[in-house]
Amino acid sequence: MGRVGFTTTIPVEVLLAAGKEPVDLNNLFIGSDHPQDMVDQAEEAGYPRTTCGWIKGLYTAALTTELEAVIAVMQGDCSNTQALMETLELQGIKMIPFAFPYDRDPQALRMNLHKLMDQFGVSEARVQKEKQRLDEVRRLCWTWDEMTWKDNQVTGFENHIKLVSTSDFEGDPDRFAGEMERLISQARQRPPATDQVRLAYIGVPPIFTDLYQVLETLGARVVFNEVQRQFSMPYLTNDIVEQYMRYTYPYGAFARLADLEEQIQKRQVQGVIHYTQTFCYRQIEDLIYRQRLKLPFLTLEGDKPGKVDARSRLRLEAFINMLK
Amino acid sequence: MIGIDLGSRQVKLVEMEQGKVIRREIHDTITFYRQYGRVQAGQLQINLEEAGWGRELVIATGYGKLAVPIAGARQIPEIQAHALGAVFQSGQESFTLIDIGGQDSKVILIRSGKVVDFLTNDRCAASSGRYLENMAVVLNISLEELSSYDQDPAEINATCAIFGETELVARIVEGYSLPQLAAGVNYALYHRLAPLLKRLDSELLVLSGGVALNKALRAILARETGREVLALPDPQYNGAIGCCVFGGM
Repeated sequence: MGRVGFTTTIPVEVLLAAGKEPVDLNNLFIGSDHPQDMVDQAEEAGYPRTTCGWIKGLYTAALTTELEAVIAVMQGDCSNTQALMETLELQGIKMIPFAFPYDRDPQALRMNLHKLMDQFGVSEARVQKEKQRLDEVRRLCWTWDEMTWKDNQVTGFENHIKLVSTSDFEGDPDRFAGEMERLISQARQRPPATDQVRLAYIGVPPIFTDLYQVLETLGARVVFNEVQRQFSMPYLTNDIVEQYMRYTYPYGAFARLADLEEQIQKRQVQGVIHYTQTFCYRQIEDLIYRQRLKLPFLTLEGDKPGKVDARSRLRLEAFINMLK
Repeated sequence: MIGIDLGSRQVKLVEMEQGKVIRREIHDTITFYRQYGRVQAGQLQINLEEAGWGRELVIATGYGKLAVPIAGARQIPEIQAHALGAVFQSGQESFTLIDIGGQDSKVILIRSGKVVDFLTNDRCAASSGRYLENMAVVLNISLEELSSYDQDPAEINATCAIFGETELVARIVEGYSLPQLAAGVNYALYHRLAPLLKRLDSELLVLSGGVALNKALRAILARETGREVLALPDPQYNGAIGCCVFGGM
């Protein structure tokens, strides 16, 4: 079975319908033993130091993994992806562009989906069948999420790591589902956490490797991982286009705000951590969330993979202390 | 009660008794760690007794508090320490605290004596004491002299503690006078703080940290914001004083 990489969440059903193994390059990069080496390699190849660490990690991940092709999400994710795609193409990697239409137009999304299906030679009926199969796997992830904020039996990190993995289901949805069932029954035995502070984590997943652990040692637990939860397509839908229409992440700050406001209230969140990547355009969007979300708000910036730096730690500590 | 603020550039120690500071010392951070630190189990530990500070209740804050533990000391977050110190020293309950230290700056919104919000500067040493020190060296004047100019500033945009030099040299070549250049440096510092102050505004601005001693910055702040500006009596020791206030609570 051939492996196909991608730069952010895509309609993974298409790859599964085509019998391909999905590989989210982000997970490959940050899950590797030496993510900083991957950033260094991209810089040696000529990527500027003043560019996002994720893009550099993705570049090296794509080059050092056996992949049939890479799907690059050109709209609805990161504006650096175009250059990433071109520099990978220069290295002889087959690139397939995909786009989420910014205006959230269902016709345009259906058209882009069909283009992707044609690339892989699969029918809509076949893709729809994969979606129904994945609905069952995703349902386990929604339970996991509910066990985080409602039953308080799952840590912020456990929530993050499993939900973030729903972009590629670690390459094998069946095995992933089995693992989720095991984890759920284990966590069911735990006493509920007694939190001092309940936090929302919004924005792209962190490049820091120990953020959730640091927060927990400071007496706070993340009960809402915004984008990671979106990856799990947390809405029961009948149709694949509808599913990727309801997915908020690619459609800009205002599409995300509605979901944020609803979940923050529902989950009784006391404070918001907005993570942004150094050099990312989302640092500008920070002002929108800061203005619209009526809660204590901390903007956290990460550059290189590794542990939370002393300065960020100081800020997290003060923020949590303020909320206690 | 002993409060210790393990800053990035300096270590500040304060001893308080019945609400009064009875002793205080300031040390260069590196020298202090070298002299009184011992590596134990792979970690640097500070021996305060060796530094001449008795065995009393010790409250520590600052960057160094996690990396360099002091045996028996309690630790509190820096922002909390600064807020407590400023409320104690100023006697005020609601204000915006501007703490400009050796390598960073913080703006803290305080209402009814409690921290309700805070912002910190970008990650580098821009808009910090280090920037002023470096620029004073380039201008070949003392920090004190640098801090006496606030009129007719030359336009200086870079507040990078390193690259600020390049811009300053360019302005020197263009023929600006020393007072204009020095005022420009002080204004550059203000411009870095302005967006933070706009978001966390109060009628009263309180200054702490070594840069509170900068007269020009105080004048610029008052002029540009129209707010009352108060510099704390012991601005450099404010964090350590806050530690003692915490210990007494």
